[in-house]
Amino acid sequence: MSSLIAYYPGNTLFHKLDPRAKIIFMVILSMAIFAVQQIPVALVVLAVMLCLWFVARLPFSVLWSFIKVLLPIIGFLFLVQAVFYPGNTPLIKPLIPIGRGYGQVTLEGILFAVLLALRLMAMIIMLPLVNFTTPVQIFALGMVKMGLPYRLAYTMTTALNLVPILQGETSVIVDAQRLRAMQSFEKGTLVEKLKAYPALVTPLVIGSMRRAQLMAVAMDSRAFGASKSRTYLEDIRLHVGDWVFICLTVAFTIGIIVASYVM
Amino acid sequence: MTHLNLKISQGEFVAIMGENGASKSTICQMLNGIIPNSIGGRLSGQVLIHGLNTKETGISELATKVGIVLEDPETQLFTTSVKAEVAFGPENLSLPPDEIEERVAWALKTVRLNGYEERLPSSLSGGQKQRLAIAANIAMRPDILVLDEATSQLDPVGVEEVLSVVRELNQKYGMTILMATDASEMIARLMDRVVVLNQGQLEADGTPIQIFANTALFNKLMIRSPQVSQLATLLKNEGHPLPTFPITVPEASDGLQTLLEGTTPAPIDPVKPAVYGSRELAIQVEHLDYIYQPLDVHAVKDVSFEIRQGEFVALIGQNGSGKTTVLKNLLGLLRPTSGKVIVAGQDTKITAVAEMARHVGFVLQNPDQQLFAETVEEEVAYGPKNLKLAKELIEQRVAEALKLVGLENKREEFPPAMPKGDRAKVVIASALALDPSIIILDEPTTGQDYRGCHQIMQIAQSLHEQGRTVVFVTHHMALVAEYAQRVIVLSGGKVLLDDVTEGIFAKPDVVRQACIIPPQITELGQALPAGMGLPRNPLTVQTMSAAILNRFDQKFLATPSHSTLRV
Repeated sequence: MSSLIAYYPGNTLFHKLDPRAKIIFMVILSMAIFAVQQIPVALVVLAVMLCLWFVARLPFSVLWSFIKVLLPIIGFLFLVQAVFYPGNTPLIKPLIPIGRGYGQVTLEGILFAVLLALRLMAMIIMLPLVNFTTPVQIFALGMVKMGLPYRLAYTMTTALNLVPILQGETSVIVDAQRLRAMQSFEKGTLVEKLKAYPALVTPLVIGSMRRAQLMAVAMDSRAFGASKSRTYLEDIRLHVGDWVFICLTVAFTIGIIVASYVM
Repeated sequence: MTHLNLKISQGEFVAIMGENGASKSTICQMLNGIIPNSIGGRLSGQVLIHGLNTKETGISELATKVGIVLEDPETQLFTTSVKAEVAFGPENLSLPPDEIEERVAWALKTVRLNGYEERLPSSLSGGQKQRLAIAANIAMRPDILVLDEATSQLDPVGVEEVLSVVRELNQKYGMTILMATDASEMIARLMDRVVVLNQGQLEADGTPIQIFANTALFNKLMIRSPQVSQLATLLKNEGHPLPTFPITVPEASDGLQTLLEGTTPAPIDPVKPAVYGSRELAIQVEHLDYIYQPLDVHAVKDVSFEIRQGEFVALIGQNGSGKTTVLKNLLGLLRPTSGKVIVAGQDTKITAVAEMARHVGFVLQNPDQQLFAETVEEEVAYGPKNLKLAKELIEQRVAEALKLVGLENKREEFPPAMPKGDRAKVVIASALALDPSIIILDEPTTGQDYRGCHQIMQIAQSLHEQGRTVVFVTHHMALVAEYAQRVIVLSGGKVLLDDVTEGIFAKPDVVRQACIIPPQITELGQALPAGMGLPRNPLTVQTMSAAILNRFDQKFLATPSHSTLRV
């Protein structure tokens, strides 16, 4: 069952962090992850993310469902890198030699694909780690305190929350079309899958537009955006623990970058 | 909407009725200035709220005058706790935190959600969500609360929850309430005034009695009056008017006793035990259990039933009673955790969904979740094309399906732009084009007006008459009584009752356990004193009126088994 707002209530250390600490964590680590060049470093980053997932007591089954979605993409990456990455250590002779190492599966190609897959997984764990443990209104408040205008902050958090809503909506639409004997998503060829897309995308787009319009009605009737200086029922404060977390994050990020370029 | 003049005084409790397309939502959204300030359009004339022109008044000021609750609970809740949801409006008004706390506490107490402060709004039931939406609006202390079809997606319990809150707001705080709704029995019970709209114009305006007794109005428009009022109108047309025009059960019961005084009760034929369907099994569910992972929700517990080919069955129960889970198991979208489901001879545990689609047609509650093609014709041909049928056969299937739903003259229209009733018919035709022996409809009448409801149910009935098995899910008990032959009641994931329709409503106490309230006409039959010689559990207004008229003239003996409503 998909929940509308992707927030998993909890009382863990990670839940209690100030949203600003989590936003800093999210922003600088996602940049650092792209800088990672070595498989061992990527493994360390991934392990840290998994530990945090455990600390936040988020369900591993949800994580597994993300990984499942990623698997085809990872498979595709492997294929592309194996075929096109220039390398000197051929593992399998090329079927069609293209020249200069292209077209043959090389050790370098495989290793690069592994690195990409690890980076992708680290990213895909990190984003929900923040999103799932922070109530929307607190997330928005964090952004406002960091200087963003309220309307923008709220629009951004709402957009984040639309992802699970659209996921739920998509699965209803896919089921409806499967019951009209559409099989392309289970066993169709790539061309058949592409041809089947309008049957999913059209209702999804029309439905989202209707939903957005109604949401605007509901928000207007509750005076959204009435004044720039809005008050907040809940207040947030950076505690010692938050500063420790921010320092650890910065240190970890520097560590990753140093390891990637100096080692 | 053209030339509409309407005045509402502070403290009134007003219902807005009308067919789909009568501009009910337009008027609701005009009241708090969303039209024309946020959504475009040309507004001539003016809307004044306490003398303030909505066109010239800011959203924030209007928001403190008029609150609005919409039909779909999901689109109006956007935070992650009940408390934050209610605080959202007052925060936008830049109120000091102390006052916000105070208002949140008051609003939650008023809608009886105190104690739920930290809950996730998405984890609440439908009725609770709508009450939360009310709290979020009244926390801004409006004088007027508008509910735009706010109860139409709720089960009867949810409707009652919302109504009792709204009534208290009206009586205790003098809040003006405007409700767009077609739940006429509720209007009769609670409201002071009914405004009937027709194509953007004011058609009628008066007290519930004035409106429901207006025969000319109900001949002109397809809107629903309470069943006891329908009965009174039928009797009046045959020359036997009740002493006073009734809109509630006690009024009708008193009136009937006066009317029938001195006539002798004719013996009623005992209800013959009905045998429905053929010998062949269409659906067989044996000890079905279903547990949702990863949260380990035990949604369906040891459910068993059999449906024979050609039966017309209603599946009813409160939200969360397991109806949807059972349906998904029948369709192969979910596989039983344990137990067995055989549909049209196929074991759903091992049959692909696309294969199931050949045997079972499914009509989704919201047509907009599957319409995508540019023409009706193309939309209906989608299923047969997926099955890779021959071109001539596809053409034939599409023609037959469109004829069955009465859309043969609208082949070239663009489905998303069609009226709601027609969109539902396109979806039914799409399911029929696969020529299934079983049709399952999941709340097919949600969001439809009276005309739409009966058009859809009459299509279902014609499919049943062709020998197909029809299973439908609904909260609308008058439709169950009028159309279904048999009813399966689910409660807490289990089968509570499984009987012919007469049998189900004959046990009002048991049915109420599943939070289901029998149709008003059945309640009238049960409210009449014993020995009146009238049916105890009449299912339709026609059955009841025939039995009464029979007392005056024997020619009315032949009772139509189903609605003879023209739609």
